[in-house]
Amino acid sequence: MAISTRIRRRTVLQGMGAGVAAGVLGTWPRQASADEKQGITDTEILIGALGPITGPTAFIGGPARDGMALAIEKINEAGPINGRKLRLVYEHAATPAESVAAAKKLTENDNVFILVLASGSTGAAAAADYVRSAKIPTYNIFGATPIIREPFARNVFHGSMPDPVVTGSGMVDEVFKAVPNIKKVGVLAGTYAFPQANLKAMTPILQKRNLEVVLEQFDAAATDYTAQLVSFARQRVQAIIVLGSFTEAGFAIKQAPDKGLTDVAWVLDGSGTNDAIVSIIGKENSTNLRGYYNAPYFPSQTDAPIQGFMKVWIAKYGQPPQGRPNLYDIVAYGCTYVMAQAIKGAGRDLNWTSLMDSWEKLKNAKPSDMGGYDVTFPETVTSTDHQGNKLIGPAQIVNGKWKVVP
Amino acid sequence: MSRTGALRVFAPSLFVFALSIAGLLLGSYWQYVLALSISAAVIGTALAMIVSYARCITIATGAMLAIGAYGAALPVVRLDVPFLVALLFATALGGLAGLILAVPGVRFRSHNLAMVTFVFQAVVIIVLRQSKGLTGGAEGLPIPAPVVFGFRFSSDADFLLLCGFLSALVILPLIVLLEGALGKNLRAVAANESAARAFGINVNRHLIAAFVWSSAVIACAGAIMAPRYRIIDPDSYGILASILALAYPIVGGMGSPWGGLVGGAVLRALPEVLRPLADYLELMFCILVVATIIFFPGGFGSFVTGTFRRKPTKLETSAGPEPRRAVHDFISDMNILGRREVRPPQDRSRSTPILRISGVTKSYGALRAVSHVSFDVTAQTIHGLMGPNGAGKTTLFNIVSGLNASDEGQVLFDGTPLDDVPVESRIKLGMSRTFQHAAVFDKLSCVDNVLIGLGLNDIWQASVRSVHMAMHSQRARAERKAAMAALDAVGLAHRARDGAGSLSLGDQRRLEIARAIVSCPRIILLDEPVSGVSVEEAAGLRELLLRINRELGTGMVVIEHNISFLVSLCNRISVMSDGRIIAEGDPDVVVNDALVRRAYFGEREISA
Amino acid sequence: MLSELLMIVVGGLKMGAIYSLTAIGIVVIHKATRTVNFAHGAFVLCGAYVTYGIVEVLQFGWWAAFVLASLAGGLLAAVVELGILRPIRQADSFAVITATIFIGIGISDIYRLLQNTEILAVRSMIRGAPLFIGDAMITREQIAVVGGAMAVALIGVALFAYAKFGRGMRAMASNPRGAVLCGYSSDAMNALAWFVGGAMAGVAGSFAAPSTGVTAELSVAMVTAGFAAAVIGGFDSLRGALLGGLILGVCETLAAGYVSSAMKNAVSFLLIFIILLWRPQGLFPEAKIRHV
Repeated sequence: MAISTRIRRRTVLQGMGAGVAAGVLGTWPRQASADEKQGITDTEILIGALGPITGPTAFIGGPARDGMALAIEKINEAGPINGRKLRLVYEHAATPAESVAAAKKLTENDNVFILVLASGSTGAAAAADYVRSAKIPTYNIFGATPIIREPFARNVFHGSMPDPVVTGSGMVDEVFKAVPNIKKVGVLAGTYAFPQANLKAMTPILQKRNLEVVLEQFDAAATDYTAQLVSFARQRVQAIIVLGSFTEAGFAIKQAPDKGLTDVAWVLDGSGTNDAIVSIIGKENSTNLRGYYNAPYFPSQTDAPIQGFMKVWIAKYGQPPQGRPNLYDIVAYGCTYVMAQAIKGAGRDLNWTSLMDSWEKLKNAKPSDMGGYDVTFPETVTSTDHQGNKLIGPAQIVNGKWKVVP
Repeated sequence: MSRTGALRVFAPSLFVFALSIAGLLLGSYWQYVLALSISAAVIGTALAMIVSYARCITIATGAMLAIGAYGAALPVVRLDVPFLVALLFATALGGLAGLILAVPGVRFRSHNLAMVTFVFQAVVIIVLRQSKGLTGGAEGLPIPAPVVFGFRFSSDADFLLLCGFLSALVILPLIVLLEGALGKNLRAVAANESAARAFGINVNRHLIAAFVWSSAVIACAGAIMAPRYRIIDPDSYGILASILALAYPIVGGMGSPWGGLVGGAVLRALPEVLRPLADYLELMFCILVVATIIFFPGGFGSFVTGTFRRKPTKLETSAGPEPRRAVHDFISDMNILGRREVRPPQDRSRSTPILRISGVTKSYGALRAVSHVSFDVTAQTIHGLMGPNGAGKTTLFNIVSGLNASDEGQVLFDGTPLDDVPVESRIKLGMSRTFQHAAVFDKLSCVDNVLIGLGLNDIWQASVRSVHMAMHSQRARAERKAAMAALDAVGLAHRARDGAGSLSLGDQRRLEIARAIVSCPRIILLDEPVSGVSVEEAAGLRELLLRINRELGTGMVVIEHNISFLVSLCNRISVMSDGRIIAEGDPDVVVNDALVRRAYFGEREISA
Repeated sequence: MLSELLMIVVGGLKMGAIYSLTAIGIVVIHKATRTVNFAHGAFVLCGAYVTYGIVEVLQFGWWAAFVLASLAGGLLAAVVELGILRPIRQADSFAVITATIFIGIGISDIYRLLQNTEILAVRSMIRGAPLFIGDAMITREQIAVVGGAMAVALIGVALFAYAKFGRGMRAMASNPRGAVLCGYSSDAMNALAWFVGGAMAGVAGSFAAPSTGVTAELSVAMVTAGFAAAVIGGFDSLRGALLGGLILGVCETLAAGYVSSAMKNAVSFLLIFIILLWRPQGLFPEAKIRHV
């Protein structure tokens, strides 16, 4: 009796051991494999997006989510694309690590069909290696950084934001427009990824134009610029380029007069050109401000497309708080339409290859092609150049509001 | 006994490694999450040393992680150093960083120490961000997949196994220290700093050691995880990372390393599991921590173990068997174990003073607490010290044991002046003490309390003994036997494993005595050993003290208010009042002295 | 050259005055209840948010904003003390300090969830032509902030030193049981101390709002600065906190102006560290003898 129980116990243990071993061996190594047709059902296409909803760069990710959701709602209302509706799944990602994690989760866990990087340069740079190796069609709508652009990958497409060389030249052009004989320019740059990427691209351009550059930097979300402004005043710069968000630029501009910088021209980058800056600096101080905008119209302009956009935005989200909708709402909305067009062009037999083929055929793709408002620049893509838009809109403040002044 | 001991030490490492093996059954995203959890478990265990055991608040965890991550990544990326070598380098760098932080930092406690760690955290991140040329600054540093002996760990499963294996390895020495003498000493420091110091624990050095070890391990965790992130930037390791890490031991449980381990593993996985709630996650986290502090002080771990801990029965709480034989056994055990040789009882009249207090004065501002006090204590005698409240007795004790310095005068121990001998070193000379408010280390078990009484508590000794304890070596067994013998001598052997906080006041005083005798000291300073204790217990303690004095040859100085106790115990009594000695001599004589009576009762002398 | 220095110093004094107010609130709470309140920055944020509501949304005047912001800050602080900290007050300082750290973050998270924009801008308190001292320009706002914040700070210091409840708080701090025997209620005194500290934070938020805007990050920035100022001044001294804030503000801006802009943040940390090492009792310690 004792012997048989012992034997039974031993066999049970052996069996368990074998089972565990089989389980381990059978499932290892387990490689992540994403699939050409994932995220597609007969009636639905799953779109994944990642971006920062909280933290100092929340002004990018939150509006991106809202813009995309608005576009998708309208596109679905107008009718399914070749029989399929779009569905958005959005993941918060602020730091590089979170961006990689979100990209992996969306691709391998949620099995999305297209991955949208709505995360600014930090996230785009972090996820770059991953998306290139996973081969999932990736739409980088905000990232200026070269890391996502080079080396070229067939599955990566870029939307409204051109690469920083384009925006850098644009800003330098604005400087010369403001002060035609300028010799000395100040550059006020944030130390975080997006301004630094812009700075890197802009510096050679400034040198080529024979400008003497005074560089001052600030930490993200800094509110006191006494030191930097005093330095600019001391060196008598004639214009100041600000690479940073509208709040950062706003406080710098607001504090400038008391540091002696009364007659200086300001040139802001795409994240600085936001109407909320006027509340910070006061309407009467908003002269001599220029910038560029990554879209043809500012939210407050009266042109028909942007008015139409504002109407549908407010209908969905209510009265906008100070500073919304912003550039990222607009670009996310417009780019979603472009993406929908690429999907449409691929036909019913949808997979990654057919999608990419279709995307590379886009010519002047714009939202109105599918019933949306043309609030973004049209996109043209070829098989060797995946940068959809290369235009920027020169901008100035008119009557207390920004306006694209071509 | 040794098998469970070994299991205790290896269990956390095995658990971590088992987690990584179990993860092979999961999809690649969950393998990633599990790797994060394992990394956080390592961080939590390291924080258990600083936060749970030493009860220091540290907000420098993020900086240490960054030092590890960059410290391993930069050599690999820029100098082609092999991954494992870079890992070792990063770990050492973390330890160095801990040293740099702790040496100035441990002068402070509580909020100032927290602030120093915060300063360290902020400065490290600023430096990393500013050194763009070296670290890539805010744009981040891309990191290649780790390569070990030619094998490239690029898939999630590979990485999980590597992470599990390395994490298990790095936790092991930490657990050895935490479960061993070093961990116990840290908990003693947190429980009662003065008592810890009186038994040889140098508080600053122990805290520094805690910071050095934990920082090294935290840096290692950062270095292991960095390749998986593929790109690291300084702001990921900011103040928020430090504060969230602080939650691991607080929520997980402050009573043991498992608290930090499990707390870290669970809390790190939560954001991944609860992704739909991303917006609210940080707030929920804060609510969880605050709720834990209010409703489950000591964390969930302590709550769980507390529910299951056996409460001692009534029978067990009463005093144990007679101390008579036990003291004798204690002495013979000490002889066998080769501890300090026991002096046979001598003829007292020939003895030299073991303790000479000479002109000691101590003032606090305008108050003269002790005023030109001088008396001698003959070796192997019991010398009483009495006086009304506020007479300066405890102050004098603190000066003799080294917790306070006198303004004037000198204390000589066996002829050696104690001026330059710090309090931590006095136990080695042969002086131990008990305290007025029973200063047992309440979260430690009774036997652990007594083990500290051995006085083998400088940093190196504590570390080496931790290894001995983990291996259950002969030396560790001998020490434990000595501690049990001391407990037995005071009648507490049956409560050896119980927490000292669960003892009654009388038993705590006995425990203090056990702790005081285990090092076979030449003199014990006892501060109100029977205060608050019942008459029977006082009698029992008196018996015990007399036997220890007779058979072990240990001298004693006893402060007491219980005059009959003192008279029946002491060979000689000094009386203090208002900081001065007003009488000294034979107990019976002193008690009837007119000055003494006036000091106590304000009685006017009635002339005969 | 000199005018530039003057402008930098005035700029530093402006932020410094705000830091002083914050630090005084921290020190009041510490003097009365022996608690170091790491959630203090969240009270400042509360005051700033209320100020935004009054001045920008409801378009009332600044006096209303000051009063309501201080009330809001005070009430929030009192709620924190009565609701969360009182139950754990018996525990050691470790529990209380960690609780305040997480409460501070929790409150700024609640703000972030309530108000889903990056920053709320508040207009300046006073507009009008700036004053000139030689070449140096000093705006009216700078004068208003420095003057106003200092006035509130001095009122706070005087109250604590002379008014009846100030004495009660000090009694409670030095001997709780004795004070209770004299008729002071421990709970009431603690709550009052927190209310006063929170009110000072609220007013600091009012002064800060136009300069910094209302953001969730304000709370960490203010508690760091407030703590640094308190350490510089000597943690238990109200006068010290006041002066410490000014010193911190000026040092920060000087360092940023003449060394490098990245140094600005580093300065407050380095100052904390240097003072703790060299003179832990602060620059203006209040004589205190502790008997063991």
